[in-house]
Amino acid sequence: MKLEGGKIAGSELVFLMIGFTLGSSLILSPAQAAKHDDWLAILAGLGEGLVFALIYTTLAVRFPGKTLIQFNDIIYGPYLGKIISLGYLWYFLQLGSLVLRNFGDFFTTIIYPETPMIVFIVLVALICASAVRNGIEVIARCSILLVVFTFVVIFGTAILLAKDMKFTNLLPVFDIPLREFIKASHSAATFPFGETVAFLMVIPFLKKVKEAKTSSIIALIMAAMLLVVVAVRDTAVLGITKTISTYPAYQAVRLIDVGKILTRLEILIAINLLSMGFLKIAVLYYGAVLGTAQLLKLRSYLPLVLPMGAFMVSLSTLQFGSNIENINFAQEIYPYYALPFQVGLPLISLLIAILRGVPKKMKGAKK
Amino acid sequence: MIILLMAAFAGIVLFETPGLIQKKYWRELIVFFMFLLLAFIVSLLQIFGAKVPNPVKGITILVKGFLSLMK
Repeated sequence: MKLEGGKIAGSELVFLMIGFTLGSSLILSPAQAAKHDDWLAILAGLGEGLVFALIYTTLAVRFPGKTLIQFNDIIYGPYLGKIISLGYLWYFLQLGSLVLRNFGDFFTTIIYPETPMIVFIVLVALICASAVRNGIEVIARCSILLVVFTFVVIFGTAILLAKDMKFTNLLPVFDIPLREFIKASHSAATFPFGETVAFLMVIPFLKKVKEAKTSSIIALIMAAMLLVVVAVRDTAVLGITKTISTYPAYQAVRLIDVGKILTRLEILIAINLLSMGFLKIAVLYYGAVLGTAQLLKLRSYLPLVLPMGAFMVSLSTLQFGSNIENINFAQEIYPYYALPFQVGLPLISLLIAILRGVPKKMKGAKK
Repeated sequence: MIILLMAAFAGIVLFETPGLIQKKYWRELIVFFMFLLLAFIVSLLQIFGAKVPNPVKGITILVKGFLSLMK
């Protein structure tokens, strides 16, 4: 019996992936450690991220119609495969809870200081739960609308801020030590780009699996361009103060003032975060729920949606004492913690699959 | 707070179980209750202010251990 009946088109995958990659990195700039060179670090991170994406899509094309959880069983055998799949499910679930926490932090520190954080987390989790219950097709279709809106907001704010920009803020280019630069670009590679490993749960539902490679490369490049626009906008407007603000995008857009009429547009950034973060959580949540259902050989993944969401919510409030702990974890620990899931295991899987010639045997058996 | 939490979890149970029982999805029902119990225990302990093991702290210790080996 099939768990997911929906099918998505290649173009929908592009939009979904852009939304996923922008996610919470729209407000927490990904390579903050590189200071005013963060746009360079994002581009370098894109290079690393493209290599990751090539590994994932090669795997996905090699096992058409099989999700990460299913082909882990084929590659590693039933026991080791299940252990590795469990690790991935944990990774998706925890990443989802981290993004939920970003929501809570952003809304409580900036917009609603008096409201308890749990309110925002529960509300966002409920929206994501309803999206996941409706299946991947629905998530992919909303992504088109939401991503186009985000495009408009990013370019619109950049144009409105043009008079406040000082491009000398970007000089001197490449001012930081190489070691720091590599660290920053690596953290940019793992924070938005490498997380696309979650798409190994989505790509199997593509109408044409062959499109996976081009779609994901286009999506990553577009997302990186948008992040570079955001980074350049923020650095050019804020200068060195960008490095001390927690949410530089919000601070920069706050300065928009066109004839004292068009002001206080910063709420657009909150809407961007809300829509893009929703896509990110929905994909991760979907991956975790569908993966668990496949691991335990259930007939439907729907009953797991709400309990897992409840667990994700309690995890997100448990994990950090404050906003600063969250950002510190994202910058110092996360780039190394994510490595085995984002590069190590997919690379080993691909090597083993090639050496054992696994999927070819399957095709021969079918014919 | 505890009453709110109970109400939320009771709501989830009432929302999901009738359909599952009608379709005789027993395996799904067991898994559903296992996950729900896990979530309920973690959130209840948090409300009581008990020290729940924090996965982020564990990850931090692991990563720092590995990094100190690399130097």
